[in-house]
Parts: sequence; structure tokens; C-alpha cells
Amino acid sequence: MIVVTGSLKRRMAAWLLVTVIGLGALLMIEAWVSSRQAADRAFDAQLEAAALSISEAVQWQDGRPEVVIPVSALQILATSSQERVFYAVLDSQERRLSSNWEVTIPQALRDSVRKAPLETALHTAYGELRVYGREVSAPGWVSQEPVQVWVGHTLGGRQTLALTLFKQAVSRFLAMVLLAGVLMALTIRVALMPLRRLRHQLRLREADDMRPLDAEVPKEMHELVQTLDQLFTRQREGREVLLRFTADASHQLKTPLAGLQTISELALRSSDPGQWRAALEEVHGSAERTSRLAGQLLSLARLRHLDDAPQRQRVELCGLMRDVALEWAGRDEANRHDLGLDTLPTQPLWVEAEAWALRELIGNVIDNALRYTPAGSSITLGLRREENEGCLTIRDDGPGVPEEQLERLCRPFERLGRQGTEGSGLGMAIVDSIARRLGGHLKVANLSPSGLVVELRLRLAEEEAS
Amino acid sequence: MTALRISLAATVLLAIGLASTWLVVERPKGSVPPPSKLVIAAALDEAVVAPLLEAFGRAYPHIQFEYRDRSSLEVDRSVTEGNPPDVVISSAMPWQMAQVNAGLARRLDSEEILNWPEWAKWRDEVFGFTFEPIVMAYHLELSRHVLPPETHADLLELLDSRQNLLRGRVVTYSPFNSGIGYTLFQQDARYSSRFWDLVTSMGRVETEALENTQRMLEGIDSGRYWLGYNLLGSYALVYAQEHPNVIVQIPTDYSLVMMRMVFVHRDAPHPAAATTFVNFLLSEEGQGVLAGQTPMFSIRPGIKGPYTAARLLGQVGDRLYPIPINASLLAFVDPARREAFIEHWRQAFSGDREAVDERHE
Repeated sequence: MIVVTGSLKRRMAAWLLVTVIGLGALLMIEAWVSSRQAADRAFDAQLEAAALSISEAVQWQDGRPEVVIPVSALQILATSSQERVFYAVLDSQERRLSSNWEVTIPQALRDSVRKAPLETALHTAYGELRVYGREVSAPGWVSQEPVQVWVGHTLGGRQTLALTLFKQAVSRFLAMVLLAGVLMALTIRVALMPLRRLRHQLRLREADDMRPLDAEVPKEMHELVQTLDQLFTRQREGREVLLRFTADASHQLKTPLAGLQTISELALRSSDPGQWRAALEEVHGSAERTSRLAGQLLSLARLRHLDDAPQRQRVELCGLMRDVALEWAGRDEANRHDLGLDTLPTQPLWVEAEAWALRELIGNVIDNALRYTPAGSSITLGLRREENEGCLTIRDDGPGVPEEQLERLCRPFERLGRQGTEGSGLGMAIVDSIARRLGGHLKVANLSPSGLVVELRLRLAEEEAS
Repeated sequence: MTALRISLAATVLLAIGLASTWLVVERPKGSVPPPSKLVIAAALDEAVVAPLLEAFGRAYPHIQFEYRDRSSLEVDRSVTEGNPPDVVISSAMPWQMAQVNAGLARRLDSEEILNWPEWAKWRDEVFGFTFEPIVMAYHLELSRHVLPPETHADLLELLDSRQNLLRGRVVTYSPFNSGIGYTLFQQDARYSSRFWDLVTSMGRVETEALENTQRMLEGIDSGRYWLGYNLLGSYALVYAQEHPNVIVQIPTDYSLVMMRMVFVHRDAPHPAAATTFVNFLLSEEGQGVLAGQTPMFSIRPGIKGPYTAARLLGQVGDRLYPIPINASLLAFVDPARREAFIEHWRQAFSGDREAVDERHE
């Protein structure tokens, strides 16, 4: 079943949005900080210029510093944003030589200005100010003492400038986001184009067209297309197997039916009831074989196509082997062979399996051995435990199978050139199917000096077995 | 579809940004205003400004205002004392500026204020609303003896060449007790270093220093003084129309222009009425009254009347130098600078040439 989990486009858009929001938040913070810094730099330069201008105006008069505040200094201080301004010139005893506001500069700042000029924020009764201080040691004729020049102004202009810069940064960012969004949408369209082409090609494909795909795809889609091709190949092979099986099955059924026809025709031409009887017996035998063949075909088809989980139950292997051996030993077909049972393990071996399938499997192998080994051969059933597996073996001392044909043994209708003997060639195929169904491992091997062994390993059931 | 969705998201982001940054608050208009009081502290003769106050009373009958006509010093003091006035008007520009710089003014944002010329306002908190040229005036008698001065240089030359004729007959503003006088001389000193020669010459002819223009004009009219320097043109021009003995001369080299400055006190008890008054002062109606019915020239462009800045500029041209309303005014109220200036003045006036030269850098 195909479950649609969201849209690729929506997912990409969501990712873009998340990225934009995350990245945007960071960028906004950065933009705000740098806007503030840029505004501060611009305005601090004005503070410095004003302080310099006032420093120039410090003069010595009668042994003490005096200052006539230059008009231009205050205009520089106010800036074009018309800030409210503060200035103070302090002598070394921290007396005010000149000042417009009663603002006390903290001792720490006054000390620190002795070393180097500084800019800082200052909270005063007149509001938040940005102040700049520098110390001037103006040389006098009589004495020399350092003078501190402090200037400051309100923050309106800085805030306005910072906001303007920030708005510009935000506008640029939003424009970029919009552009990126449009480009992303276009990119998605272009990127999904090969997928759309592939879909189109698949839709137009004939139902029984199993040829490999013929498409130009990007690297990322190569694996998908390869997988599709493999799927097609498997389907093609499966279909071929099915066709061959059907053809073989028809052929197998046709031969005995043709035989039946010939016999009945010959019998019809004759007027001898003896011949009729002989023909009827032959028809009877042939019908029996055909019926068995049909049964086997059915069973193989069923085994191969039974999808539902097998109804497994706990089966005890020792008992099963004993039963099967006894059953076959009593049959007519086994008269001319020596059917035997090896020593069974003393402990019971439990497996999870279907008893009928196991019986069918062993029966098929015994049946095969009876058919394809010369009279008088011995067939031995064995069972042993190997770690947590039960190992069933059916050995014969017949001619065995040529090594190169061993692997084909389990295909349907393979009689390995022994067309003369009775049999459909389906036995080992059924055995193989059952082994797969039970989840066991099937192994067929030649014995030396002669003979064949068929071995089935089945996983033992949990510890209850002991 | 995807592009649409992305752009939608971006638009939402943008909208949030816009909303948070440019949030506009509309104030409801209309509705009958409740009665209100208003206290105006002004360094401006009530008689001179009466037509303006009457017009305001007619336009806003619900506002009961009290006009306190004081000296500029008293007005300045009232700003920082308890029970502050709502509106502060003064011609002492540096002091007005210092109060505004100290944050004592309220920022206004009406349409009148936004459209007010940039050179006549500061921080949208304080506004120059009159335009008054600074002039020289002389008695008709002077022109019978000498060629009357037209420039500052003429004046200096006249004072130096005719000391005996002019001794005791020259009058000017006092820089000591008058904010206007002090401001004018400070500004004069910025323009030319020969200003101090002028002060010395004025001292040599024993010039009298008075504290208001009206008394100077009366003195000239009566013949007590023959020559007056740095008088308020607004008073002088009107006075001269009714007193033919008095002749007003707008200096042809440069003429300072003083502006009366108004602001709404930060802690105004009646801020709404105060804002209404200032808006009226700057409005077409208020400025029209100034231009037509008072001797103070209006500033607002496009006003018709005999006393408008535009008309004066048309007559006198680019010789008018308004005292700028900006932070430079703050330097004039700096105590150290003021002290130094007054000392400089005293020394120059008393003829202490050496002291003057020493200070002269």
C-alpha cells in the first residue's frame, strides 16, 4: 500500500522557512548590534571633536586654568540631530571651571580618564547620556595641572540612525528571502523534472513490457531506476519460468493422454475381448499415472503459490520418521528395495512444522529413490541432532547423479536423461518447495563409491524439546 | 503554489516588522473641549502683544488664560521654580535655549510645528515666532551735524572722530542686566574683532547703557540722546512712525535679527491648552495678527501684512543675520564665558587698552 507522507515541495518550503527564521533571527541580532555600533561610531566622533575643541580653549590665567567655551564646540556636540548637550571642564581639584549641568562624574570614570580618553553611557537627572572624557595637560607659565574635559549628549540621533541602518538591513534581508523563495520554487520545479519524465514514461508503458527502462536521469535517481529495472527483470524471469512450467506440464500431460488414445484406438479396431481387457488394464494404469502427475502438479502449484502462513504445529521427528518408514515398507513399490531405518536419537526432537508437508517431502524422496535406483538397492532413513538443528537424511546406494546435474535436480520436469523410467520429474521440485516452505535447508549430494544422499536440516523448537 | 506560499511567509514576516516598527497611533479629533486654564509667563509687553491675546481669546473661548508680563530674568527663574507656567515666552534666547537643553520643554508634534521653518525651531521643543531686526536710531539733530552712520564701521569712525559732539549723547543696551543686550553684543563680538574697538569708543564718549528699547527711544525723541545702537527694530520702527524726530537705520553691513522664543513647559499643569496656544502662535491666524497688528515681524511664510520677515528680507535683503536657534546659544549662558565677556566689556569700555589687548589673544 502506498501512503502519501507530505509533499516534497511543502517539505522544502518548510525547510526554507525554518532556515529563514533561524538564520533571520541571527542576522537580525547581528544587524541590530552592528547598526548600533555604526551609529555610536559616527556620533562618538562628534563627541571627540567637541571635546578637542573645548580642550583647545583651555588657557592659563593668573596661575589657574580658565576656559571660554567655544560656540562651535557646542554646535558639534549637538550634532545635526539637535541633541541636548552636556559639558563640564574640571580642574585637578575636581572643581568645575565650566559646566552647564550639575552632573557628577563618577570617581571611577575620572580616574580612568587620567590614563586614556573614554566614551561611556551615563545616567543623569537629565536623562541617558553618552559622555566622552579626556584629560588635557595644558602647559601654563606658572604652574601645570591637568584639566578634564567632559562632554556628552542625548541618544536620540544615535537611536534614529541605528534604526534607519537596521531597517535598511532588514529590507535587504527580506528582499533576499523573497528572491531565494522564488529561486527555490523554480529550482524545485527544475529538479523534479526528471522524476516527472520518468513517471510519464512508466505510465505510457505497456502492461507486459518488461524491457529495461530507457531514460536519462540524474545521479540521485540512478539507484531508483536501477531498482525498477531489477524489478522488471525479476518479473520477466518469473514469467518465463511460469510459461516454461505451463509448457512442460502440458507436454507431460499430453504424452500419457496420447498413449491412452493410441491404446483405445487399437482396442477399438480389435474385436477380441482379451485384447480389450489388456487395453483396459493398460488404460487403467496410464490413467493412474496421469492422475498422479496431475496431483503432483497441483501440489507443486499449491506449494509455490500458497501465500498464507503455514499452519505449523509441534512435530516430533523420531516418531515421524518411524511412521513414514513403516508405512513405506508396507507398500508394494518397496518390495524390490531394502528400505531401512538407522538408529534414531534417544531424545525426542521437536520442530515447528506441518506434519503433512514433512511426510510429503520424505515420501517424495523415498519415491524418487525407489524409481531411480535399480532393484535391490538399499534406501536408508536417518535422523540425528546437530546442535540446534534436526538433520533428516535419506540415503541410497544407487548410481547417484552426475555432479554437473546436481544443481538442476530440483527443477520441475528434470529427469536427468532417464526418460525411460516412470515418473513425472516433479518429485524433487516438490521436495525443494516444501523445504523452502518449512524454512529448512535442503542439500543433495553424491556418496562415494556410489549413491545419493538428500539431507534436510530443520531448526529445532525452543528448549521445551529437551 | 510553493512560490506563493514562500512569498506569503515573507510577507507575514515583513508585516510583523512593519507593524512593530511603524505603529501609528491616531488620536481622535473633534468633540467640544472642556474649559481649561492657561498660564503664560512672558518677557513681552502685554500692551504690545494684546491684539494677539485677544485673537486667541476669541478663537479659544474655553481657555481662560493668565498672562504674566515679567522681565526676562524673572521669566527664566519661574521656569525652574515651583508652580511652573504652561507657556514660556522670552526674548532672552540663550536662557530659553538652556532651559530647553536641560529638558524642561515638551516636544510638540502638530502640523504647524512640522511645517515651521527649520531655522526657527530646535528639537520641535522651542520655537522662534517673531523676527525682530536690531537697528540703530538717531535724533534728527544728528544729521544736521554729521552724516548719520549706516554701517558698524561708520559708527566706529563717527564715535572716534566726533567724540566731543557725541559725548554723553550715545545710548545702547546694557550687557549687564539685560539678556537681550548681552546676547546682541555676544553675537556682534562673534562677527568682528573690531567690535571691541567699538566698545572702547563707546566708552570714550561715555555711552549710557539702558535696559529696554522703549526708554532708549524716548530718550532719543526727547533729544537726551542723539544716537542709539542695538535697539529692537520692532519697537523702533513703530515708534519712529509717530515720532518724526527719531530716525531708524537698519545697518547696511549686517543687521542682527532676534527671535522671541516660546516653549511649553515640561511640567505644564495644562499641557493641552498650552499646546493649543503655541499652535495658535505659529498658525496662519496668529502670525497674521503679529504681522498686521503688532510691531513684531511674523516668521511664517505666506503671511500678508506690514510686518513680515519676508517683506523685511525683500527690503533689506541678505544683510539680515538672525541669531541662530541652536546649541551655540548655550555658550552665551556659560557662567565662565559670560564672566569673561563682561570683564572684557568693562575693560574695553573703561579704556583699559592693555587689559583688552592681553585678553585679545
